[in-house]
Order: sequence, then structure tokens, then C-alpha cells
Amino acid sequence: MAACQSFEDLQLDPNRPVQAEPSLLLTAIETNAFSSVSTGAALASRQLIFTNSTSDNQYYGWQRAGFGDYDQLRQVLKLEEEAERTNNDSYRALAIFFRSHYILKLTNTFGDVPFSNAVKGQEGNFLPSYDSQESIFIQVLEDLKMANAMLSSESGQILGDIIFNGDQMKWKRLINSLSLRTLISLSIKENNSSLNIIGKFAEIYNDPNTYPLMRGNEDNGALRYLDIEGNRYPLFNSNDLRTAYYLEKSFVDRLKAKNDPRLFSFANQTANGRDLPENDPNAYEGLGGANPLAENTNQILAGNGSPIDSRYHSDPENQPSLLMGYPELAFTIAEAAHRGWINADASAYYNEGIRASMSFNGISETEITNYLNQSSISFNQAEGLRLILEEKHTSFFLNTGWESFYNQRRTGIPTFSLSTQIINPGGIPKRWMYPQNEIQLNLSNMNEALQRQFNGQDDINGEMWLLRP
Amino acid sequence: MRVFYKIIACACLVSFWTIVSMHESFGQSKVITGTVIDENSQPIPGATVLLKGTSTGVVTDLNGSYRISYTGDQNILRFTYIGYQAIEESINNRSVIDILLTPDVTDLESVVVTALGVEKSVKSLGYAVQEVDGERFTKAREPNLINSLTGQIAGLQINNSTALFQDPVISLRGATPLIVIDGIPSTENDFWKINADDVESINVLKGATASALYGAIGKNGALMITTKRGSKGTKVEINSSTMFQPSYLVIPEVQTTYGNGDNGQYAYVDGSGSGTEGFGWIWGPRLDVPDPTTASGFVERPQYNSPIDPVTGERIPIPFISRGRNNIKNFFQNGLISTNNINVTSGNEMGSYRLSASHVYQKGLVPNTDLNNTSFSVAGGYKLSDKLTTDASLTYNRQYTNNFPETPYGPENYLYNLVLWTGTDVDVRNLRDYWVPGQEGFQQKHFNNTYYNNPYFQAYEYLRGYHKDNTFGQFKLDYKANEDLNFTLRSGINMYALDRTDKEPKSYVKYGRVSRGNFYIYNSAQINMNTDFIMSYKKSIGENFVINTNAGASNRFIRFRSESLNTDGLAIPNFYNVANSEQPLSGSNRLTREQINSVFGTVDFEFMNAIFMTITGRNDWVSTLPVNNNSFFYPSVTLAGTISDLITMPKPIDFLKLRTGWSRVSDGRISSNPYSHIQAYTPGINWGGSPSLVFPGALINPEISPETSDSFEVGLDTRLFGGKLGIDLTYFHIKDFNNIISVPVSTASGFTTRLENGAVFTRKGWELMLNTTPITRADFSWSIGLNLSTYQRYLTESFDGSDRFGNIMVGERTDQIFSNSQYQRTPEGRLIIGQNGFPIRDPYQRMMGHVNPDFILGIQNTFNYKNFQLGFGFDGRIGGTIYSLTNEKMWWGGTHPGTVNQFRDDANNGISSYIANGVVVTGGSVRFDDFGNILEDTRTYAENEQAIDYIAWNKTTLNANYTHYFDASFIKLREVSLTYQVPSMVLNRTFLQSASISLVGRNLLLWSNVENIDPDSGVDNLQTPSVRNVGFNVNVSF
Repeated sequence: MAACQSFEDLQLDPNRPVQAEPSLLLTAIETNAFSSVSTGAALASRQLIFTNSTSDNQYYGWQRAGFGDYDQLRQVLKLEEEAERTNNDSYRALAIFFRSHYILKLTNTFGDVPFSNAVKGQEGNFLPSYDSQESIFIQVLEDLKMANAMLSSESGQILGDIIFNGDQMKWKRLINSLSLRTLISLSIKENNSSLNIIGKFAEIYNDPNTYPLMRGNEDNGALRYLDIEGNRYPLFNSNDLRTAYYLEKSFVDRLKAKNDPRLFSFANQTANGRDLPENDPNAYEGLGGANPLAENTNQILAGNGSPIDSRYHSDPENQPSLLMGYPELAFTIAEAAHRGWINADASAYYNEGIRASMSFNGISETEITNYLNQSSISFNQAEGLRLILEEKHTSFFLNTGWESFYNQRRTGIPTFSLSTQIINPGGIPKRWMYPQNEIQLNLSNMNEALQRQFNGQDDINGEMWLLRP
Repeated sequence: MRVFYKIIACACLVSFWTIVSMHESFGQSKVITGTVIDENSQPIPGATVLLKGTSTGVVTDLNGSYRISYTGDQNILRFTYIGYQAIEESINNRSVIDILLTPDVTDLESVVVTALGVEKSVKSLGYAVQEVDGERFTKAREPNLINSLTGQIAGLQINNSTALFQDPVISLRGATPLIVIDGIPSTENDFWKINADDVESINVLKGATASALYGAIGKNGALMITTKRGSKGTKVEINSSTMFQPSYLVIPEVQTTYGNGDNGQYAYVDGSGSGTEGFGWIWGPRLDVPDPTTASGFVERPQYNSPIDPVTGERIPIPFISRGRNNIKNFFQNGLISTNNINVTSGNEMGSYRLSASHVYQKGLVPNTDLNNTSFSVAGGYKLSDKLTTDASLTYNRQYTNNFPETPYGPENYLYNLVLWTGTDVDVRNLRDYWVPGQEGFQQKHFNNTYYNNPYFQAYEYLRGYHKDNTFGQFKLDYKANEDLNFTLRSGINMYALDRTDKEPKSYVKYGRVSRGNFYIYNSAQINMNTDFIMSYKKSIGENFVINTNAGASNRFIRFRSESLNTDGLAIPNFYNVANSEQPLSGSNRLTREQINSVFGTVDFEFMNAIFMTITGRNDWVSTLPVNNNSFFYPSVTLAGTISDLITMPKPIDFLKLRTGWSRVSDGRISSNPYSHIQAYTPGINWGGSPSLVFPGALINPEISPETSDSFEVGLDTRLFGGKLGIDLTYFHIKDFNNIISVPVSTASGFTTRLENGAVFTRKGWELMLNTTPITRADFSWSIGLNLSTYQRYLTESFDGSDRFGNIMVGERTDQIFSNSQYQRTPEGRLIIGQNGFPIRDPYQRMMGHVNPDFILGIQNTFNYKNFQLGFGFDGRIGGTIYSLTNEKMWWGGTHPGTVNQFRDDANNGISSYIANGVVVTGGSVRFDDFGNILEDTRTYAENEQAIDYIAWNKTTLNANYTHYFDASFIKLREVSLTYQVPSMVLNRTFLQSASISLVGRNLLLWSNVENIDPDSGVDNLQTPSVRNVGFNVNVSF
């Protein structure tokens, strides 16, 4: 009966590999990095409201956020290691791109975060110090340039790429576009000469041969959903989305005021408006994001209030999720042109952005042209910033993560409504508190960062470096 | 009375037809009579007279007289009575045998089974054990053996689940003990495969010192289950129990004043739950509101079962009344546990065997749910020669059901659909035809198709099948080379094959999504082989000194494999085959193998039959650690001394034994995955045919070494007042060090945990057992067994010299419950309300209580009166904290009876009238330390005056007036049993050797501080109602 086996044989796990091809890591990283559909951001950005409870996102009651993106940075580190092992510069360039993407997400959320000493657990560093936000941005801008430079026809084949199917040029376009997003996000710092935001923006924009940029929706950094278990649109079949998410009033009112046909693509008719034609703006109504919960609920029970368009919960593929899309790039360039950072036609890029966003949402060419032909839409320098940023806000609807919120945080456009219903006495929060785990596990480094930034207070109303002129 | 006896005998006859035909073969019966007296020549009534090797027995009457019949095959009578020494007397053809019983001060000469199946006298043990007779489990039946142990053993905590086919949670001195069946460890912890009818006894080895010989798997003590064997003569025994579940011990009480809807409004449209359907809330309009203008006399609203106006196509309003106020009673059925066993034993001088067949059928509360549990076993031994004896047993067990309910919170939970999230405007009886007409197979009929399932649809269409085949057994060869030297070879096997299927119909609602129909298959199989070889040598040196040594080696090998296969949508509804998948199938599989090789040895020194010392040692080599760290040694030493044998004791002390023991046991198994020490990638998402890998967040130290526990215990065992009072007290102290721990690290390091050796935990507690017979009268006796135990675990040293490990500070208990979803409170505990009238979230984690009780206790009472025996037992746990999801969700959803108030009516009328009981901060400030403790507080407060909407209050804060953490203390009347033993004078006229009938009840009464749930289960994730079990047991043998 004794079944004596050699102990060495029993040390091999038949269920898990100890080595990975970079392509296998890339697929997993991409599905996470490009997955950007966030109802929380839509609530905080006054695009949606929620009726099941007083949501912390809608009523600005949030406190802490998590460091989950460092889990992804671990995958990126492994991609980098396996790229070294297989001597493939393309994967290394992509690893740098993803590292930049995630650290930007983190620093935008909190302010200073661990970077230069982060993700070094394998080397025994479990107490990573925090880098200043300024140094993170400087590093990211350099890294993205380096990633762009590394990618070439000789840098090696990219497999397992579910975004661009190994097309290096498209990757370069996305990387450089992310550089421009990063630069515009520092617009408050435009007069900081050592940072030289304007010069860096112009350098990229003015040299399309070295720094190719996205040219249209076909270049979008987009994850396309599939009707397969685990690959479906993340809100597909969501019960809450079906019943408890309605459009926000200021958002609906603006779309109505502008005769924006995207309204019919974002929203369904109200119960009272169900018999009106689908493209009749009177069939649509928003509910105040800062109104008391009971008031909004009563409005809905009375047949008012437009639910989110059913495609968001009934179409398993719905629309791709964007890490960064061409409309955003167009509005970014328009804003830079409007600010005088570059010599370009702000109006043209503004129109480009609108066209791309509308076509992304399935609006026909005719409707787009009709929309652009309205005088209220046409670009003018005096109101340029408002026009660009309102359109940018619209184009971010349930896409591109928290960019809609961050752009408003940076510019104040559009206005987000407040009332005594708002949980945060300081109004719209500026950031999130550091995670509870850091208190237990990395306290002195966290406290040093708090001291440096906010006089030691971990506060959602604290102004991080990039928001200070 | 005689008529009554006959009725019982007839009932037995009718129930068990088999006995008639089998009766013929038994021999001629003879009769013995006699009287049993005590040391003062007083008659002892109620003493048991048993034909040894059978279960035939009678009880002496008021005059101490007995009369027993026997066949020629039996020759020994055994006389027993509580507190007296048992006596065995050869019959030798006598017809009158009178017996004198003397008080027993040392029933400790009795023998128990210890580690590796070695039998030892209780007196010689230097550690705590407690034995329970198998008979305790066969009258008042529980669905599994472990449930029956509740409250019986000091130091053993059992959390009983209220749901069908859910494992009880078992913990001995705070950790899960090993289960050993006839000397073979059964590490898969299947509590369902052991048939209580086959259990002779369970001996609980309470700590590592007792079970050190098992090595790592015995680190937390062991339940040593000894199964029954045959004996001389032939006997057939039939045992049958039926337990009904006629009433509920605990069931959630919900309000029946308001119906489905939100903010007091409701109108059914299409079942989507949105708009006027109120999003699935039970915050709807008042029910049963009179309205003279309608035909029904009540306010009417469009509902899911409204008739449709053929002209307009609109739903015609029907009365909005609480027609579903009895939904629970109307839907749930009475459960049932029916247990039947027949066994045959036979034997002679050379050997014996026992055959047993059992079936347990349990009908669930939920319609169309049940559980079947069938066992066949054969066990026996044979003396091959004077030197060589064999023993073997083999059991086949099958657990099967086509449907058992799913229990966690969510739309898979029956209570969720039946009461928590259904207003009583819906009557479950109207949902019995559960398909939407014309959409059979595609769409269930319900009032809300987005969030909830029709309970009948769930019961009859969402089927969770479970079929498990267990085979386990052992064989043993004993070779007695001479008087002193003995060799034993034992090999055992535990294997199972499990076949799980889930059939998920189209339109079935799961959390967050509606199913397109699915079929899930999960199969697994395990084989677990154990082989021991033991050599023992015993030598007496002089009169007073005995040395006994054992040496042995063992091998243990486990192979496990599993496969799962899932569809992605079903093309044809209700056709459950993986080939019917709409989209590509997904699946996974797993194979693990692990091994432990060991050598071990023991030396027992025995001096004057009063002082005993045992030294044991064992070395393991394991496959579950890196090869260079995989060998480790366990020593143990125990000492026991019967002081009362060495020196004269003061008068009331009849017996006094002191014992102490120490052991060091290591464990090289990091988790249930034997490859946990290997750092590797795990499969990630497959995106449209692109597979992926991810690197896990747990960093593993490649030099990981085994973790170790040092256990120390000391105890005393004493008998007082002529054996009328027995006390057994143990103190234990366990130091767990070099623990293999997942050390949480800053996520910014790229990892969430690292696997390291470190930290020191201390586990300690007391265990008290008390046995007393306060009354022993002529025709009446009362005996009490009480057990009481405490256990706590503390963090003694943290990792890397830190003063904390996670949330726990050094020196604190490790079972603290932390919550990070609390609201800010003043130092006095009042809620701090924000400008919007709602409480303000607390950004710090708060400690809400402790998981473990302060102590657990059990009291068993037995009364004997003539041929009647009445037993009842209480047990419970005092202290500890339980989080009640049921109560929280009842406040949240609007079903809690506490929500029936004026504020709710106001909210329904659009009036915000609820002013939360709390304060607003009017000035000053507060400074916290990093963990949320107040450093400086100058805040000033005013009473909150902001009125808000009551419904919004509950929906947003889940009623922040409560934390929903409750005191988990409870006491239960666990069991009552009344047994009537048919007197031998009645049986003499039948072919029966013994017969008894019992009325039994379990889980009868509960005292606790938590409403709506039964804290016995230890957790509340919307638990199934707790039921009373009442029934009867019939036992006959012939």
C-alpha cells in the first residue's frame, strides 16, 4: 500500500507555470488598463445619478481610495522582466507605457505616491517612500518619450496584443497622445518655467515624424468587448444600471440646449415621455445630482427622469472602453491651441473632437453636420475654453475612467452642482485619502508625504501639487 | 400496562418484518434471576445487567432484582451502575446470581484509544481526553455525527448551521482537530460519511500533546472514532429514528404593513423593477387601506398578476393587500430526518464480524430539496493463530441529492426571495406556476425579474446536484512474537469521488445579472493512503517498574484531482449538457500530490502502577516544503501520578491524579494547496482566445520553514464523596511560533502579502468537567455531567519586531472584529450628523467586538426511574460578537418591523420628518492619531435638528442607530429524550433480547440577545430559519 514517491518529483506544481511569455502577461495587463468604464466617475462628474442610496460619489462623501493599481504595476514589472529575458524592446516600451499610465492614475487620485521605490518587494523593499507629484510627472514625461523612441521595426514583435494587434505605430500614437494628456493636465503649471509644459507640448505636437499622434477613432486606445463570458461590456446585465441609474439634470439640460443628438444615445425616454418620438428632447429629463435622494426618487416614481440608455446594460458588446480616445486628444490639442501653447487651429480640433465623439456614439454624419452648423456650437475664442471642455466632458460619458472629473477639477468646467445635501463640507473633493493599509504598513513614509503636501492632514479637500498655480 | 407493552412489541413487529423470519435460528433461551446490592447490603435499583458481548440487558427493579434470559452461547453477565465498579460474572449454568457492587473510585482503569490507535489506561495519561459513548448519537438524530457532539466535550466548540447539508464548524481549543477513524487519519474532514450507528465511541484527544504521534496533522488534537465490532454470539439490531421539524426556533419577523415599492408608491409595469416598480425596495405604499370607491373595498394598484384589459392592454388594478403575510409557512415545508439501520454481529472464540447498513433521508425545508446518505460497512477480526490476529473494516458511503439549497446572501438564497425582498402584497402561492405563459423555459414569472427569483422557480428549476461516493477502511495485522514483543502493520485508505452539477435555467437571477441559462460541472476525486508499521516491546523490571516501548514508521500519500466545465449560455432551454453551450465552454482542472514519510518512537515508564511517564518522538519528511527545509522532529513528554495511590488522602477524596505534559509539534503544510511554497504564475483572463497569466500578490520566501507549536498542559482528576462527584480540570497553554504567516505589506511594494516565518501567538484556556450523581435512591437516580471551557488566542510577538500585526497590537486578542464602514461618533458614542442630516463616515477602522465567546458550556442531565430514562442537555456560548446581515438588510430594504412608524408614513407622503438621534459639530476640532484614537478634542456639539426623509435614512445608512453587531451569547435546550426500556419480563415472552423506544427532541429552546437569527451557527449571511426537531427512536435486538 505504501506509495513512496520521490520528494523532488512532488515539488513540481502541475497547475501553475513558473515562467511566462511576455505576450501572456500583456493580455492580462491590457484588459485591466484599457478597462475604464466607471459609474462612480459618471456620478461624481454629474452625468448620472443613483437612486438606491446616497452615493458617496454623487454626494461627495468619499474618503479613502485603494492602492490596487500597484497590483497592476506588479504585472508590468513582470512584463519588463520577461521582456528582458526574451530581449524584446517592444514589450519593454509597452511596460514603460503601462507603468506611466498606472502611476498617473495613482498620483491623480492621491497626490504624492510611491514610485521610484515602489514595486520593489522582490528586492526586499516593503516600505516604499513617497515621491513628490512633481517628480512623478517629470519622470513620466521622460519615460513616455523613451517608450516612443524604443518602439521601432527592429524592437521586436508584439504578441498577445488585444488592443492594436501588434501594430507598433499605433502604440507610438497612443504613447505620444498620453504625453499630451499628461501635459494638459498640468495646465495650472503653465507658467512654471522649469517644468516647461508649453515647450514639451509643442515639441511633440510639432514633430509628427518623431512623435506620431492618433489621427482618428481607428487609433483609439480601445478595448473592444466580445459576447463571451468574462469579455462582455462590464455593465452588461447590471441590475443596478437597469433600475437605479438616471441621467443628471445639468448634463441633460446642456445636451438639450445644444440639441446634442448624443442625448438619445446616452439616455432612454422618461416613463412619461415613452410615447414621444425617440429623438424628441421633451421625452428626456435629468435629475439633480445634488437634490435630496427622496426628491429624485419621487420624480422617477412620478414618471420623470431618464434612465441610462438600455444599450449600456443590454448590449454585451456595447462600445469599446477607452484608455484614451481620439476625441480626447483633439480636445486636448484644441485647448493647447486656445491657450496659445502651440500654433494650431483650435476651432478645427474642436470640431474634430465633436465629430469623433459623435461617431464613436453612433451618430450619423448628417446629424453631426447639423449639430456643428449651429451657431451656439461654433467655436469662438472668448468662450473657447468652456466650449472645448463642455464637449470634452460630454465625450467622456461612461468612458476613460475619471478623466471627466480630473478635467473639471483642473478647470472648473463644467460647473458641478452643490447643495446642503452634499456630504463633504468642502464641496467637491480634490482628492482621496490614502488607504487604511498604509497607516498600518507604511506609516512613516505616508506621514512624511502628508507633511510635505498638506501639513500632515490626510484630507479629501487638500490641494495637491498640480492644482496649485 | 401490559397491553401497552404488547402494542410496542407489535409496533416493532410491524415496522421490522425481517425479524420474524430470522428469529427461528436462535438457540434455546434460559433464565437467570438475582438481586444487586451495595456495600451496605441495600438493594440497587436501576443497575444494568448485560449479557456481555451483546446488547441484551435489563435494569434492576425497586428491590434490586433482575431477571434476564439468555441462550447457551453467552456465559458472562456484566453488572454496572453509575459510581460503582462494574463486575463481570460467569454464569456457569447457574439460575440465580446475586451480586455486591462496590463504589468505584477509579473507573480510570478503563482503556481509551490514543494516538496511532494505541490503547492505554486513562490513569496513565498525562493529557486531557474525553470519551463519548456512541450510543449518545443514535437516539436523537442529527443529520451528521459532529452536530451531535455539541455541548458534550469541554473545549470543543461546534457552530451548527441552520441550512440543509452545510458543514458544522468545529474547533477544539480554537483549531480544527484531526478526525481519525479506526486509527486511520481522515484529513478530508467529511463529517457526513461517518454513520453514527457504526460508532462505538469517540475519544477526544484535546491537544497536541495527546496527538503528537500523528505529527503535523495531529497538531490540533484529534477525534478518535472507534467503530463497532462483533462479539461472541449472534445478534441482529435494528435502530430506527424519525425526526420531524414541526416548528421554527427562530425565523425573521418582517413587517406586513407596507408593500413593494419606493417612497410609498408602487405600480407594476413590466417586471423590470425600474420606474414606478420602485427598484425592488419594500418601501412601498401601505397595504390593506380601505377604499369604498373600489369593488374590493381596498385601494387597488396594478400588480404583476393583474388581469390585462383586453381593450387598452393596460393592467387592471387589484387590491393592494397583505395576502402574503404567511409566505414563509406557505412556501417552506416541514423538514424530516429519517434514519434506519440494521446490523448483524456474530462471533466465536476465533473471531467476529459486524455487518451494517444505514440510510439517512433528510427532507429540506425548501420544497424539492433533500439529502440521502447511505452507508454499508463490514468490520471484523480473526485470530489466525495464537500469534497472528487480523482486524479489518471497510465502509462504502454515498451522499446524494439532486438539489440542495444555496445559502449565502443574494438572489440564490430562498429567504432573500421569500421575505427579505418581497412585500407581502405578493402571495407566494400565486407563484406556483412559475413560467410566464407562452415563455416556458425562457422567462420565470415573478413580480420583479431583475433582482429576485420566484422561490418555486428556484426550487424546481435551479438544481444543485451533489453525488459523492466515499470508500474508507483499514486492515491491521498483529503479530505477537512473544509475551513482550509485538509487531503491527496497518494500512488504511480514504477515497472519494464527488460529482457536482448546477443547472441554471434561463432568466434565473444572480447577483448583478440575469442568466442566459447555464450548466456547471465540477468533479473531483481524492485518494489518501496511510501505512504504519509499529513494533512494541514491554518489559517488567522487578515488581514495581514496567517499561513499554514502541517504534515505527509510516507513509502517507494524498492524490487529488478535479475538473470543472462551464457553459456560456444555453442554446436550448432546460437542456443541461455542455454541448448545448451558446458560446465557447470554459473549464479548468487541477492535480495535487503530497506525501509525508515518518519515523516515530515512544517509551512508557510505569512505576508502582501509580506514576507514569511517556516520552514520544517523531520525525516527518514532507513534500509541502522546499526539500532542504522539509524534515522536522517532534518530541513530547507527559507525566501522570495517582497521588491517592501513593499517600493517604483526607476523607472526601477517593482518588486524585495529577498530570502534565509538554510537546513540540511542527507543521509543514502552508495551505490546502500542497504547492503553496512555489512562486508561480496563475491563469488570468482569456480575451477572445488570447490566454493570459498573472503574477500573484503573495510573495513567497523560498527559505520558508515549518511552523511550530509548543503545548503545555497541566490537569487534575479527582473523585470525591464515594465517587459521587468527579472533577477533571485542565489548563493548557500553547505557544505557536515560527508561524508560516502571510505578512501584509504596503501594496505599493507591488505585493499584498509576503509568506514568511514569524510572529508568536499564545493560545490558552481552562477546561472543566464535572460529573455528579446528586440522587441515587431506590427507584430513582439523577446524574449530571457539566463541562465548561475557555479559550483565547493572543498576539505575543509580531513580525520583524513591530508592535502590531495588521490591526492587532502585541498582547491583544487576535479574534477582534474590525469594521471600516462605521460612522463618526462622539467619545460618548453618539452619532455625528453632517450638514445634510445624515451621519458622517468614519475614515478609521473600528473594533466592533470579538469572534470568540468568553466561555462555552454544556450540561447533560440523566434521570433514571424504573424502566424510564429522561435526559436533557443545555449548552451554549457566552460572550463573543456576531454580525447580523439579516437584521441589517431588513432595515435597509424596509422589511424590519421597526420601520413601521410615523416617519415612514411621512416619507410616503413626501414629508421629511426624521431627525436622526445625534449631534452636529458646532465648533472646535479634533485631532486623531494614525489609528483614529483621539489625541485632542475641543469639539462642541448641538443636538441635530435637521429633518430628513426616513426612507432615505434607512436606504443610505442601513439605519445607523444600529451597528448590526450583536452579543452572540446564547443558551439552548439542545436535547430532551425520554426512553422506555421494555422490561425483560415482557421480553421473555417474545423473541426479542432488548427493546426500547424513545421520544426525542433537539434544538428545542433558545435564549439569546439577537433577534431574527440563531447565533449557534456563528455567522449570519441571511441564514435559513432554525427549526426544532422532534421525533422518536425505536431500537430492538434479538
